[in-house]
Amino acid sequence: MMVNGTVVALSRIQFAATALYHFLFVPLTLGLSFLLAAMETVYVTTGKPIYKDMARFWGKLLMINFALGVATGLTMEFQFGTNWSFYSGFVGDIFGAPLAIEGLMAFFMESTFIGLMVFGWERLSKGQHLAVTWLVAFGSNLSALWILVANSFMQNPRGAAFDPLTMRMQLTSFPQLIFNPDAQSKFVHTSVAGYVTAAIFVAGVSAYYMLHKRHVELAKRSFRMAALFGVLATIAVITLGDALGFVDARVQPTKLAAMEGLWKSEAAPMPFNLIAFPSQAQRRNVADVRVPYLLSLLVTHSLTGTVPGADALERQAVRRIKDGIPAVQALHVLARNPTDAAALAEFDAHRKDLGYGFLLERYAPDLNDATAAQLERAARDIIPPVAAVFWSFRVMVALGLLMLAYFVITVLYTLRNRIQRKTWLLKTAVWMIPVPFIANEAGWLVAELGRQPWTVFDVLPTWMSASTHSVAYMAFSLIGFVVLYSVFIAVEMYLMVRAIRLGPAEHGDAGGPGPQVRPSLSPRPLPAAPYGRRLEG
Amino acid sequence: MRTFLYFLLYMVIAVAVIFLAAVLGAHGAWYFAWLVGTAMIVLISAAGGALLDTQEEHAAQQAPAERDRS
Repeated sequence: MMVNGTVVALSRIQFAATALYHFLFVPLTLGLSFLLAAMETVYVTTGKPIYKDMARFWGKLLMINFALGVATGLTMEFQFGTNWSFYSGFVGDIFGAPLAIEGLMAFFMESTFIGLMVFGWERLSKGQHLAVTWLVAFGSNLSALWILVANSFMQNPRGAAFDPLTMRMQLTSFPQLIFNPDAQSKFVHTSVAGYVTAAIFVAGVSAYYMLHKRHVELAKRSFRMAALFGVLATIAVITLGDALGFVDARVQPTKLAAMEGLWKSEAAPMPFNLIAFPSQAQRRNVADVRVPYLLSLLVTHSLTGTVPGADALERQAVRRIKDGIPAVQALHVLARNPTDAAALAEFDAHRKDLGYGFLLERYAPDLNDATAAQLERAARDIIPPVAAVFWSFRVMVALGLLMLAYFVITVLYTLRNRIQRKTWLLKTAVWMIPVPFIANEAGWLVAELGRQPWTVFDVLPTWMSASTHSVAYMAFSLIGFVVLYSVFIAVEMYLMVRAIRLGPAEHGDAGGPGPQVRPSLSPRPLPAAPYGRRLEG
Repeated sequence: MRTFLYFLLYMVIAVAVIFLAAVLGAHGAWYFAWLVGTAMIVLISAAGGALLDTQEEHAAQQAPAERDRS
C-alpha cells in the first residue's frame, strides 16, 4: 500500500524534531557522568571535602538533565511502532534486540545507580559511592552504545538478511551487529562528543562563578578539570570524526558525496570544497572555494585515492534498480505463494538489489511498465539533500575546531593557575556553552539526513517505512510533541539556571555575595550553670 | 585471609580485563580505544585537580618566604 507522501514527510519531521530535542540532553549526561567520576575519584584519593562538594553540585545538575533526557527519550521508542510500523515489522527482529538490551541492561543499571548516587552520600562508604558513580557513567554510556548499535544497523546493515518467506529481515550474526565498524566509530564519536559538551558546560558555569567571585575555590578546580577533560575529548572526537568519515566513504558513498558537495567524480588528488552552494536541481555547486588535494587526503588518507561523485553513484543506482526489479517482482509472487521455487530462485539471484527495486516502486507501482524517466528519477533519489548535509557537516567541523582552540587556550592558562585573571577568557567560556550543543545537533543532521532516501541503507527506502496515518493525525501529534518538548526544554532551562544561581551552598567556600546560606536550625546547647543553680534551688 | 580474598578478587578482575582487551582488540578496536581513552581522560582530569591543590599549597608556602625576604 502506498503511504501518502505528506504523511511520510510529517513522520520524518516528527521523529527529527523529537530526536533533536532529545539529543540536547543526552550528550551532557554522557560526559557529565564521567566528569563527576573524575571529581569523586580525587575526593576519595585525596580526602579533600571540596571535591565531594563539586561532585554533589555537578551531580545535582546531572540529575536535572537526566530526568528531562529520560522524559524526551521514551516517546521516541514508541514512535517506531506508531509512526514507522512497516519499518518496525521489516527490521524489528534486528532493531529490537539492541533496544531491548538498552532498556533492560544499560538504562535500568543507569537509573538504579543514579538513585544511589544522589541519595547515597550519607548511606554508602566513600569507596562504595565512588563505584556507584563510575557505574552511572558506564551505564549512561552503555545506553548510548546500544542505541547507536541499532542506529548503525540503519546506516550499514550488517549481521542480518532478508527472509522472503517471513517477508522481513532476520538477525544472522549478533557479533557482526555489535562490531559493525560504523557502530564502533559512531559510538566513540558520540560518547566523546558528550564529554566535550560536559567539559564546556562545566567550564562555562565555573567561569560564571569566577567572574562573579562566587564559589571560587570550587569553580577553579572544576574549570581545571573540565579544561583537561575537554581538550583530550576534543582531540578524540576529531579523530573519531575522521574514522567515521573513512567508514562512510566505503559504506555510504552517497552520504559522503553530499557532505563534500561532490556532484562530479574527479581524478586524484581530489580538491576539498571548503565553501560551496550546492543546487540539488542543477546537480552542481553554484559557487565554491576549493582546497587542492585535501579531499583525497581526508577521506582516503592518500593522495592517489578517489571517492565517487553523485554522477557515478546515480549511474550505478540505475544498474542496481534494473537488477532490483526482478527481486521485487519475485517477492510479490512469493507473497502469494511462498513455495514457488522459481520465484525463490529469481529472488535469490537479485536479492542484493531488492532495496533499489523498492526505490523504483515509488514512481512505478507496476514495475513492468516502468519508464526510463521513472528509473532516472528513482536513481536521482539516492542523493540526500546536499545543501543541508554539506552545511551541517561544515558547521559541526568548524565548531569542533573552535572548541579545540578554546580548550588549548584554557588548558594553557589554567595549568599556570592564571585563569581568574583572564576575564576575557572567562566571558568567552560562558558564551561557549551553546557551541557543543549546536555541533551535536549538526552532527546528528549529517548522520540522519545523509542516510536518505533510506531508513535502512541500501535495503529499505524511507517512503515505504512509515505508518498509514492520516495527515490530520500526524499534524496534530507533531504539534503536540513540539509543544510538549518545548515545555521540557523550558523546564530544563529554568531548573538548571535556578540550580546554578543558587550554587553549591554546602561547600566550605563562603561564596562571596551569592545567595545567603540558610542558618542552621539545630538547637544550640544551653548554658548549664544557670539551670544547674535553679535546679539546686 | 582477608588479604587473600582481596588478592583473588583483583586477580579475577585482572584476568577479566585481559580477556576483554583481547576480544575487543581483535573485533572492536574502537570500543577498546574508548575504554582505555575514557579512563585516561578521567584520570588526567583528576590529576589536573590534584595538581591545582599542590600549586596552591606551593604558592601559599612561597608567599610568606617572599614577604620575609622583602
